[in-house]
Formats: sequence, structure tokens, C-alpha cells
Amino acid sequence: MGFKFEYLLSILPDLALAALVNVRLAAVIIAIALMLGTMLTVLRSLKLRPVNAVVAIVISFVRGTPLLIQIFIAYYVLPAVGLDLTPEVAGIAAISFNSMVFVSESMRGGLASIDPGPLEAATALGLRPPVIWWKVVLPQLFRRIAPVLINEATIVVKGTALLSVITVVDVLRTAQQMASSSYRPFETLVGAALVFLVVNLAISLAGKTAEARFAATRM
Amino acid sequence: MRFDASILVDYWPLLAEGAWLTLRITIAAFALGYLAGIAVALLAILPGRLPRLMASVYIETLRNIPFIIILFVVYYGLPFSGVRLPATLVGTAALALFASAYYAEIVRAAILALPRGQFESARVVGMSPAQAMWHVVAPQVLRTLVPPSTNMTLTMMKESAVLSSVTVPELTYQSLIVQGNTFAPFEVFAAVAAIYWLIAIGIAEASRRLERRVGAAQAASVSANPIAARYLSLDARRPS
Repeated sequence: MGFKFEYLLSILPDLALAALVNVRLAAVIIAIALMLGTMLTVLRSLKLRPVNAVVAIVISFVRGTPLLIQIFIAYYVLPAVGLDLTPEVAGIAAISFNSMVFVSESMRGGLASIDPGPLEAATALGLRPPVIWWKVVLPQLFRRIAPVLINEATIVVKGTALLSVITVVDVLRTAQQMASSSYRPFETLVGAALVFLVVNLAISLAGKTAEARFAATRM
Repeated sequence: MRFDASILVDYWPLLAEGAWLTLRITIAAFALGYLAGIAVALLAILPGRLPRLMASVYIETLRNIPFIIILFVVYYGLPFSGVRLPATLVGTAALALFASAYYAEIVRAAILALPRGQFESARVVGMSPAQAMWHVVAPQVLRTLVPPSTNMTLTMMKESAVLSSVTVPELTYQSLIVQGNTFAPFEVFAAVAAIYWLIAIGIAEASRRLERRVGAAQAASVSANPIAARYLSLDARRPS
């Protein structure tokens, strides 16, 4: 039984359809992670010692444990404390939380490279800190860390494949279901791999185009 | 909800066994993956378009596909082509394959960032080529390699949890078994998360020591400027 190329071609449309599930989940997760990550960063900048101590532990935990375990915790442990989430919602919660931390850490790295001049000017003009954050710091920061955020987006897309383990019917699970009826796991999995490759290359390409546009407007 | 520690007392040998396997898989995949990564990085810096194209196809393909799918493709693809190996071996190889793409990128960047003048200056002050490599070039390349390599190794260690889905009896697999036997997800996953956390802290600490030995990279400080510190630093103010 050789590799059946026609079979691979015949399942690609269905796999692409299933990929919409991954793309939809990833979009929701990225939006949540960007929002919460930004809020977390501003919170950390207030430098409240007890708050930052707790945040440091949370960050260390999220960065030190596998995403898969974090997904299991959302899926198996949260119901035990009365939060009965559907697999999709549990998955979104786990990956968003994980990505929020990585977004905030990228922002922390980006902040160190920002020129303090405009901030001094804004402070001298008497702008209030929330305004300075919103109008001066964040626009520069997002522009600066855009490549990192694009990379994080591809990581989130890849992370959604793990949700197949908690029964979300995504590309991977669809591929496995096809394999269980056709007994051709190799073709279906290669198909799933191709679908992810296309989605993530498209994201990277879109990111590069947007960056070039950004760079042009700044000059 | 209360924390029932007796479950962990009963099942700790399984978890310890899993943790030990996770550690061994990580070390083996690091060694294998780094070797492959260096090979691909050298391919990437060869003159000529073909080797560079091959290297970048290798790197981009592996970096844009979720590890769980790489693992499944390798796991189901090998028997398909007539090779039957134990799951742990296949899993470790898949993990090394995945990590090698990232290591290749790290090594390639470090080599390209290497200032040529450093080597030439060392030669001018009378060092032999070997001395110049050993005393001047190598420490600097190593310094740029350590932080990203550590990050990637941590990522890879965490990705090894995915091997549980192809029956490799590592930490996550054992935790799912214990969870299935006890129906105590809170205790089990808390313990397992703590073990992973410890391994991660151990790897980070080892790297910090190595970094100190090869010389810490200069940290860009947001200086004594109070306005800059207010917005651009997330660390608590230190009394100066």
C-alpha cells in the first residue's frame, strides 16, 4: 500500500473546511490574549509589589508547564470547582491565558527598546498616564513588537491542534476520523500538516506585508 | 474542594518514573536535535541557492506545523514505510526533528552575527587561528547561542508532553493514567504541573550558570531616567 496521492487530494477540501474551526478559535484567542496581555502589562508597570509578585509566579507557572497540561487543567479541573466548560471554551480559556503571558512578556521586551524622549515630552505637556499609555507608549510598542506578535499568532494556531485531545473536532481530529474509516492515517495526517502549513505561511506573509506598510508610513 | 495528598502518596512512583523518562527524552532530543540543527545551519550558509533553499524549506515546514501533527505523521508514517520501532524511540526522534528546525535557525543567526573583524584582530595581535577561535570567537558565539537555545530547549521539554498521545509513558501519560484511576484531576495535574515547573526551573538555572561562565550579555538598562522607568520598566523600583 503506497502513498495514495489522489486520496490526499480528495480529502483536502474537507480538511480545509475543518481548518476554519482552528482559524476561528485562534482568532478569538489572539483577540483575548492581546487585550488581557496589554492590561497585564499596564498593571505590571504600576509596580505594586504584592501584585507583581503574584504575576511573577503566574508567569513562571505558565512558561514552565506544558500547554497540554494547562489545557487539561482547564478541561478536567475547572469543572471540579463548578466551572463546567464545553471543550471549545475550556480550550479557548487555556490557550488565551497562556498566550496572554507570552504577549505581556513580549511587550516587556519591547518596552526596553522605546526611546524615552516622547514620554518626557508628553509628561512635560501634562498628559495623564492613561493618555500617555494609550497615545504614546502603546502605538510605538505594538509597531515595534509586531513581528513577535505575528509569530505568537502562528504559535496560537498550532496550539489549537492540541484541542483535538479534548475532543474539539478540528483539523487533526477530522483527519483522525477520516483515517479510522479509510485506514489511511499517513495521507490524512499529511493533509492536516499541509493545511496548517498554508494557514501559518499565510499569516507570516500577511505580517510581513503589514510590516513593510508600517515601515513605509513611518518614513 | 480539598486537596487529597494520599493520592499522590499512592501514585508517586508512577509520576516519578514519568518525570525521569521526560527528562531522558528531553536530553536525548536536545543532543540529536542540536546536531541536526547545526548540520542544517551549515547547509543554510553554504554558497549557492540550492542548499540554502533546502535548508529554508526544512526550517519553514517544521516550524509552521504543530508538533502534535509532526509526531503523528512520523508515528504513522514509519510503519507505513515498513519500519517498526518502539513508541518512545519514535517520539524522541520526532521531538528532535521538531527542535532541530529551531536550533538550526538559532545557530544560523549566531554564525551570521559573528563579527569577522574579531577573528582578524586576534590574528593581528599574534594569536594562532586555533587560539583566535578558542579565545575570541567561540566565547562570543557561545554567548549569543545560550539564551535562545535555552528557550527552545524549555519549549521542547514542554512539547514532550504531547508524546503522551502516542502512548509514550512519560510524565503526562502517567498523569492521565493516575487521573483515570483516581478521578482526582486537581491533585494529579497540580502535582504534574509542579514537576514540569521544577524541571523547567532546573534547565533555566543550569543555563544561567553557563551564561555566567561564558560572560553575561550586556543588559540594556532603562537607566536612571524616572519617566522612562515609569512606563518602560515592569520591575519594581530599586532604591539607588
